[in-house]
Amino acid sequence: MSAVIPLDEEQRDALQELLNISMGQAANSLAQLIETKIDISIPKITSVTPTQLYTLLFGSADTFHTRQSFLGDIQGEVMSVLSRSGLNEMAKLMEYSEPLSKEDVEEIILELSNILAGACLAGLSSQLELTTNLNMPTLFTPNKENFDELKWQHSLVMEVQFTVAVSSFSMRVVFCLDDDSLTRMKDTLDELLE
Amino acid sequence: MFEQLVEKLPVGIGIVDEDFLVVYLNDFFRDRLPHENRDSYKDTPVTDIFSGQGKFLKRRLKSVFVLQHPSFSYWEQRPHIFPFKSSRPITGEETQMYQNMEILPVKDKSTGKKYACIFLQDVTAQASYFRTQQKLSAALKEEHEAQRKLIRKLDTAQSQLIQAEKMASTGQLAAGIAHEINNPIGFINANLDTLSQYANNLISICDGVENHVTDFNDEVKEQIKNLFEAQHYDLIKDDIEELLEESKAGLNRVKDIVDNLKQFSLDSTQGSQIVELNDVASQTIKLVSTQYASHHYKVESADEKIEIMANPGMIKQALMNILLNAAQAIPDKGYVKLSLLKNSESITIKVLDSGEGIEQKNMKRVFEPFFTTRPEGQGQGLGLSTAYTIIEKHKGKISINSKVSKGTVVTIELPITSEDNSATAPQ
Repeated sequence: MSAVIPLDEEQRDALQELLNISMGQAANSLAQLIETKIDISIPKITSVTPTQLYTLLFGSADTFHTRQSFLGDIQGEVMSVLSRSGLNEMAKLMEYSEPLSKEDVEEIILELSNILAGACLAGLSSQLELTTNLNMPTLFTPNKENFDELKWQHSLVMEVQFTVAVSSFSMRVVFCLDDDSLTRMKDTLDELLE
Repeated sequence: MFEQLVEKLPVGIGIVDEDFLVVYLNDFFRDRLPHENRDSYKDTPVTDIFSGQGKFLKRRLKSVFVLQHPSFSYWEQRPHIFPFKSSRPITGEETQMYQNMEILPVKDKSTGKKYACIFLQDVTAQASYFRTQQKLSAALKEEHEAQRKLIRKLDTAQSQLIQAEKMASTGQLAAGIAHEINNPIGFINANLDTLSQYANNLISICDGVENHVTDFNDEVKEQIKNLFEAQHYDLIKDDIEELLEESKAGLNRVKDIVDNLKQFSLDSTQGSQIVELNDVASQTIKLVSTQYASHHYKVESADEKIEIMANPGMIKQALMNILLNAAQAIPDKGYVKLSLLKNSESITIKVLDSGEGIEQKNMKRVFEPFFTTRPEGQGQGLGLSTAYTIIEKHKGKISINSKVSKGTVVTIELPITSEDNSATAPQ
């Protein structure tokens, strides 16, 4: 069974810094594409149980969810929580014409997740000098029961929030790594710290 | 060899440069182009070759060039990016190809030029299967819903049937009992009358003897006096009248019960005629209000005349029973409202009271004969069941709604042309 080997303070600080840089790059990419300013929160690094993860992802109402897995030197899943509010403005920035159909909305959510998660992951892996490949995003609507039955006990999550300045839109990107990847990432962090 | 492999791959592969000009298309793409374009596609803007979703394609390509990060598109949201026919033009049911698309950023290592590689997958089969499956599940859901409704209807019908059956059998039973009891009541009543006359005669005789006692000699006088005393004549004289009165009252009560039973079984020979419900309503309210004077009574009717074909006696009886229940349900002071509403094909009569209401557990039994929550001797539990039978006889519906300590509403729905042959044969 998995048991998260907690990061020490140095590792945590280093990771936080790396995330900060990669998330900043992600925000920049999106900003460039839709030509608007995007703010990011300070990345949060925490250890959660499956139930806590569920609350983290689905605790807020009026949100969309997607998930995407990634493979490579480090493996895991990245989940995005997108606010319903402000989505119309985002659609406009992304050159969609109103009214939005259900399919349009889904496409926008998937595309936004893909861009931000992809940029975050690409940033993080380039900082850590690891290669990763992101698979296609899918919409995510799980039951709490399924979460309660997950096999793992703790997982390290990295969370960052993006806010679009001109609209009420916000989006959270949550990374989860599997155990092997976590060990590998820690080793890489140690190497960087030396 | 690799080039050949790429040419023949069963997925579409296309390469576009930063100006969106097509650099390369594999067979998958080329085979689906119009003949005249098959050799002249190079250096043409991709949006010219595939114009339908040009705007979308351009946006996605731009995103890949800017972000240097793959972009995805699915058939569920955007089924036909490229205007391709289905892979089975003859036997397939879908005419257009369903597509998943992935665009990857690639870089020419020697020149450093950026390109975008478009992968296109034909997912018509999956999409078709998925859509069929979805339709199927929608149909199933619909069917399931219809069945559930049907089951609910059946449940209601069954309980109505049980109720009707209960009413019918109790009605027959009641009629039988009433008839059987009526005979003895008849002769008991007659005998009681005779008996009370006889008693009066006997008392007169005794009184006569007592009055003339002075005419007898002392010995006989003593004897008579002893006899009167020994038999407690004074007591008998006082008591006998009271006993007879009580017996008569008791007998009257039995008669009332039997009458009610007969009414319940609707052993009525009265035919049907035009009944004006406004009149019936105010008459009945008047009767009840004199008996229970502390409450407020109100009759509400939007129409001046509401006429139906019905048995007037029965309808009055039904309304009377419901109104009496309403009045009796109010412990202290309250209101009883009777409202009449004429619809296109039916009349709705509502009796509303501010009484104690009916407990949930009793709701199911309110129309049951002999069901009562009143203390013994104060109610026979026949009021609502009689009303029920009467309304049923008139092809109407009666329902009851109640909230404890708030009040009760009894709703009656009567068809305007009530044609019950058994009760309404025209005369």
